[in-house]
Amino acid sequence: MDNQRYTASELMAIMTAKEFRDWEVAFVGIGIPLVAGITAKRFHAPNLNIVYESGCIGPQKYRVDFNVGDSSAADGALCLTSEWRVFSDMQCGYYDVGVLGAAQVDKFGNLNTTAIFGDRDYCLPLVRLPGSGGGNDIGSNIGRVVVMLRLEPLRFVEKVDYITTPGFLDGTPEARKRAGLPGSGPVAVVTDKALFRFDSSTREMYLDTIYPGVDAGEVKSMVGWEIKIAAELKVAPEPEDRELAAVRAADPANLIMGGAAARKSLASLDEYIDLTIRNSGRF
Amino acid sequence: MTENNTGNKQMTLKDAIGKFVKDGCSITFGGFIGRDCVAAVHEIIRQGIKELTVIDDSKTDMMDLLVGAGVVKRWEGAYLGYGAIGLAPNIRRSVEEGIPSKIEVEDWSNAGVSMRYLAGSLNVPFMATRSMLGTDIIKYNRRIKVINDPFEGEPVALVPAAHPDVAVIHVQRADAMGNAQVWGFTGNDENKARAARHTIITCEEMVSTDEIRRRGNMTLIPFYCVDAVVQVPYGCHPQSCYGYYAYDVLFCGDYHQAAKDREEFMRWLDRYVFTSKDHAAYCEKVGWGRLQSLMTMERHFNRIPG
Repeated sequence: MDNQRYTASELMAIMTAKEFRDWEVAFVGIGIPLVAGITAKRFHAPNLNIVYESGCIGPQKYRVDFNVGDSSAADGALCLTSEWRVFSDMQCGYYDVGVLGAAQVDKFGNLNTTAIFGDRDYCLPLVRLPGSGGGNDIGSNIGRVVVMLRLEPLRFVEKVDYITTPGFLDGTPEARKRAGLPGSGPVAVVTDKALFRFDSSTREMYLDTIYPGVDAGEVKSMVGWEIKIAAELKVAPEPEDRELAAVRAADPANLIMGGAAARKSLASLDEYIDLTIRNSGRF
Repeated sequence: MTENNTGNKQMTLKDAIGKFVKDGCSITFGGFIGRDCVAAVHEIIRQGIKELTVIDDSKTDMMDLLVGAGVVKRWEGAYLGYGAIGLAPNIRRSVEEGIPSKIEVEDWSNAGVSMRYLAGSLNVPFMATRSMLGTDIIKYNRRIKVINDPFEGEPVALVPAAHPDVAVIHVQRADAMGNAQVWGFTGNDENKARAARHTIITCEEMVSTDEIRRRGNMTLIPFYCVDAVVQVPYGCHPQSCYGYYAYDVLFCGDYHQAAKDREEFMRWLDRYVFTSKDHAAYCEKVGWGRLQSLMTMERHFNRIPG
């Protein structure tokens, strides 16, 4: 991978952005999923409407959000309503696509964002994670779900410690329907090295696309089960300059993608405010 | 449900928290990681209130502070992280190591909690939802009952109504009667106020009842749900308040860094909470210029119509 031109997180956001189509209604989690949504809106899907669980429907995306209830989530929104209303709309099937992150995923696309047990258990876990938030609701109800997480050992596991968000559950035919889940389950898992999809007959995850410079063997070694590979394994194109520019404008101070290091490199709050306003597309 | 419908429910934050938030009571907070009642949380910690049960959907700073300060006995909710910045350091220390004490945790999804508050506000015992089915949320949370819908036969999850003792909700403006007006998203606040036995409203601005009447559609919570009204400008900092000020991402980054270490967290608490006699003293330490910058940024994007 050409590490000079773009970071793994930037490529991950660009690959995810391609999962959104124009005029869709998307329910998107905070973090890189949201950067992907903003990128799509500024690029190939200008009429994409994003919904936030706090109750914001269809905001203009002038600035990146750090939390689902930041007032940025409401900037120029089409509708500002309640949390229970947007979850009810989700349950009615109004939302086309959901994007969410996870700490662990298994071969049937079940996600864990609750706890890493280690050699302990739910009550006294090795690492307590945030919990479901709206993740379970997205995975339960939305027709097309895209998952984002880094491809690292212990993240792609045969069985997650705790199923927070349903994928295809135990993978048996009709498992979701038997449980009473309305949505049809995950369609893609986007990582920093490759993109995975799900076999429509076995519901098992397979390697669909590798990124430039990544070797399929490297991917296989990081997955905790014998991952199947698409008959025609695709290679993602190098991101275009204009795609990279769109991602960088979506997170101009690099605070989502760059984390603590990027925060420290800012001289002051005023510098952050200035960068945000200058890149907002609204002067 | 108010026991006081006289015309003036205005109080100080100290008096309102002291009167309604008691050791061992259950509580919920308005906002949704945005329009959070951070000032009220500081006051709860300052007063040394203990053994709270928090029934809530999603919070970041507020829960991390309350748990780190040892105020919480039990949490029933959906999200205990720290937004795009990372995991919540005090939550991790409590659940993984029992420092300063181990909170009881009961996991739900946000839609699950939303339905608990909808049921509470409707005064019915439970609501049905299609969330959480088939997952370990139900395996570990025995209060979610999966039944076959008696009409159509399909499985649904039932969640019990929530009825906390107290709801604290921050809004943009309110009058002395307790009519609370909200701009931007509304979270589950209208239902939390109705489900709770007592509701404390904190607000950026006090306005006259005539002014409330000019925009009756914006009254999310009417006076009869409300017990106390407290004006607390910048009461959400470092979280955002729609139309008033933006999220202070750098302050939160510094907090997150400090809170990773227990000693540093205690120093943070000492500086910003224990040695600040009220929220104005906290604002002084944060810096009025900084708060003004956050207001300038917010008003570049959003203004409450005058």
